[in-house]
Amino acid sequence: MASFAATAAAAAAALLPGRCAGAPGARRGGRCAASAVALPPAPAARAQTHYEVLGVGAGASTGEIRAAYRRLAREVHPDAAAGSGNEGFIRLHAAYAALADPDERARYDRAVAVRRAAEAPPVASVGFRTRRWETDQCW
Amino acid sequence: MQPGSSASPLLLPPSTAFSPLHSPLRSRSHCNCSSPRLRRSIAKHRREVARAVTVAFAWPQMSEHFYTVASDSETTGEDKPQQSFPDVAIGIDIGTSKCSVAVWNGNQVELLKNTRNQKGMRSYVMFKDDTLSAGVTGAAARENGHEERDILSGSAIFNMKRLIGRMDTDEVVQASKSLPFLVQTLGIGVRPFIAALVNNMWRSTTPEEVLAIFLLELKALVEMHLKHPVRNAVLTIPVSFSRFQQTRIERACAMAGLHVLRLMPEPTAVALLYAQQQQQFMHDNMGSGIEKIALIFNMGAGYCDAAVAATAGGVSQIRALSGCTVGGEDILQNIMRHALPSFDSLYAGQTMDRIKSIGLLRIATQDAIHKLANQDTVEINVDLGNGHKVSKILDHSEFEQVNQAIFEKCENIINQCLIDAKLVPEDINDVILVGGCSKIPRIRSLVLGLCKKEISYKNIDALEAAVSGAALEGAIASGVTDSSGSLDLLTIQATPMNLGIRAGGDSFAAIIPRNTTVPARRDMLFTTTHDNQSEALIAVYEGEGERAEDNHLLGYFKITGIPAAPKETVEISVCMDIDASNVLRVFAGVVKPQGPAVPPFIEVRMPTLDDGHGWCGQALAKMYGKTLDLAVLPKKLQP
Repeated sequence: MASFAATAAAAAAALLPGRCAGAPGARRGGRCAASAVALPPAPAARAQTHYEVLGVGAGASTGEIRAAYRRLAREVHPDAAAGSGNEGFIRLHAAYAALADPDERARYDRAVAVRRAAEAPPVASVGFRTRRWETDQCW
Repeated sequence: MQPGSSASPLLLPPSTAFSPLHSPLRSRSHCNCSSPRLRRSIAKHRREVARAVTVAFAWPQMSEHFYTVASDSETTGEDKPQQSFPDVAIGIDIGTSKCSVAVWNGNQVELLKNTRNQKGMRSYVMFKDDTLSAGVTGAAARENGHEERDILSGSAIFNMKRLIGRMDTDEVVQASKSLPFLVQTLGIGVRPFIAALVNNMWRSTTPEEVLAIFLLELKALVEMHLKHPVRNAVLTIPVSFSRFQQTRIERACAMAGLHVLRLMPEPTAVALLYAQQQQQFMHDNMGSGIEKIALIFNMGAGYCDAAVAATAGGVSQIRALSGCTVGGEDILQNIMRHALPSFDSLYAGQTMDRIKSIGLLRIATQDAIHKLANQDTVEINVDLGNGHKVSKILDHSEFEQVNQAIFEKCENIINQCLIDAKLVPEDINDVILVGGCSKIPRIRSLVLGLCKKEISYKNIDALEAAVSGAALEGAIASGVTDSSGSLDLLTIQATPMNLGIRAGGDSFAAIIPRNTTVPARRDMLFTTTHDNQSEALIAVYEGEGERAEDNHLLGYFKITGIPAAPKETVEISVCMDIDASNVLRVFAGVVKPQGPAVPPFIEVRMPTLDDGHGWCGQALAKMYGKTLDLAVLPKKLQP
C-alpha cells in the first residue's frame, strides 16, 4: 500500500488518458473522469484522510469501518456503479485496508499526527473539516 | 487417410493476434478458426438447433460493440446488436469430470438438464469418422450404461480442463499420460500433443478445440431450452488457473461463439450464492448487518480450491484465495497404481492392450472409490485380460495412506487461506464444502477439523453451487435487477497469485501480491544494473515461486532509450493495474531523470504470449538476463 505513492500518481496521471481510450467498450460511456462519484468533492485527492474517504470519525470502531466500506463499495465499485472508473474503489479500499487492521491503523494515525505537526499553520484552516468529524462523534 | 491431410491441430493461425478482448470473432461468422473439423461441427450444430428450436429467430449477429476488433482484422459492417432477446449471461461450470449450465430465469437460478435428464454432464468429446459429439447429449455413447466404457476407449478426449494452457513440462500433463487417449510430451515447455483414436489411427487435436466443441453443444442445449440465442457467459475456473490458461478458456469460448463476461474462481461463485442466502436470511429475520465469515472448500476431479469470504448486506468480500492442482483424478490414479503397481512395466507405449486395460481398471477403481464413501471396505476385482488380474480389498486407512500427499496439499491451502485472511479457525461462521470430492469422508473430516467445526453449511448443494453462483453473477453482470432484491449483490474479488517481474538475476519481484483486492494498482521502482545501461527487459510473471522461473511467464517487453547514467541512479517505475474486468495492464518507464530526453511510458496488456512457451523464459534469461537486468530499488521511507 505504501508503495502506491508519488511515482504512481505521477505515472498514472500521465497514463490515464491512454488507458481510458483503450478501455474495453463494455464500460458504457467509458468515462475517463477518475471517480468523483459518491466521494465528497475535494480539491485534491491527497487532501482527504482515510477517515474522510470512508466518511467515519477518527474514533470509529472496526465494525463501523467495515460497514462504511461495504456501503461505499456499493456506490463506487465498478461492478456496482456502471461507468465509474477504478480510482474511486482503489482509494476506498486503500483507506479500508489501512484502517481495518489495528496495527496499520495505529501506524497511519501516527503518520498523520506527525505530518500535521510538521505543517501546523495551514492545518488550522484545513483542520476545520477534520475536526468536524470528531465533533460529530457522540462520545 | 494420410497424416498430412488431417485437419491442422492448431486452431490459431500464427498470424492471429490474440488477447481476450482482441477476439478473433467477427460479426459475420461465429468462428474464424482454421479447423475445418470445428467448422463442420458448428455447421452441424446450427442445423440441429435450427431444427430443434421452433420459435423462428435470426441467428444472432455477434455484436461488434462487445469486441475490440483485432488490429489485423478486416472491418465488417456495423451490425446492430439484437436487443429483442433477453440478453442474460448464462453460467457455466466446466468441470474436469462433469459440466453444468444454469441461467437466471427471472426469479431464480435454474440448472438446465440435457435430453437424458442430467444436470451434470460428462465432460468429453468423442471422435468418430467424421463426426464429433460431446458429452452434453451423450449421443456418442452406444448405450447409457456403457458411456464410461466408450469414453475410455481412446476415441474420446476428456480432462480438457487439466490439459488446457499447460506446457509439456507440467506435472499435470505428465500425469495425464496414463489416460486412454494419446498425450505426447517433449518436456521442453511447449504444448503437449494430444490425439484421439479414430479407426485405429491417432488423430490430433488440442484441448481448446475439444473444449470449444463441448461448449458448442452446451450452447445449443441452452438455446433449445431458452428458445433464443445466447452469447454471453460467466464461467467458473479453478483458483490456480494462470492468466495464460484463462486466455485459453476465453479462446475456446470464442470459438464456440460465446463471449466471456467474467471468469470467476469457483469458490468465489459459491461465496456469491452464500451471500445471497445470507441476505435473504437477514431479510427474513430482520438481522443487523453482522459480518459472516465463510470458508469455502471446493474439490473436484481436477482441482482443489479454498477461499475465505466475509459477507454482510449482500456484499461478499473475498479475503483470501488459494488453490492447487490436486483432485479426484489424482486420487483415482493413486489407487490404480496401488492396485496394480506393475502397470507401467506391463504395458509399454499406448497400445490397444494398454488402452483396454486402463479402461477396465479405471472403471473398477472409480466404482470402488465411490462405494468407499459409504462403506468400510471395498473390493477391486477386475480381469484385465492376457492373464493379468487385479484383486484387492481396500479399506479407509489404506485409502488415506495412499493419498496422504493429496490430503496434505488440501490442508496446506486451507491453512494458507486462513493465514492470508489473518483469521483463526474460531473466526469462521460457516464451512462450505463443495465439489465431487467433498463427499469423501477423509476430506470432510480434514476440512472441518482444521476449521474446528462439527458440521458443514447445509443450504448449498455440493455439485450445483459453483454453476448457480456463476448464473447469479451472469444475471448481475447483465444488469438484471430483481424486485425482491435477491440480485442486489456485490462480490469484491481478489487476485489469487502474485504478479511481478524478473529482477536481480532470476529473482521474482512481486508488484501485486496475491489476495490483493481488485481493481488494484500497485507500482514498484527498479534501477539499472550497469553503467550507461540503455535498455531493460521487463519479463512479467505470475505465481508463488521465489524464482522467476518457477512462475508462469505472461509476457515481456523492453524499455529502450534509458538516458546514460551510472548504474543504480536511474529510477524505472513498473506499475501493474488490474481493472474490474480482471484485465491486467503493465506500465513501465523511466521516472528519474525526467525531461524531454526520456522516452514515453509503455503500456502492455498481459498476457501477451500466444502459447505457453516454457522455454521462452529460459531463452530470455540466457540472452538478456545479464545485460538487460533490473534491480529492485530499495523503498525510500514514506513521509
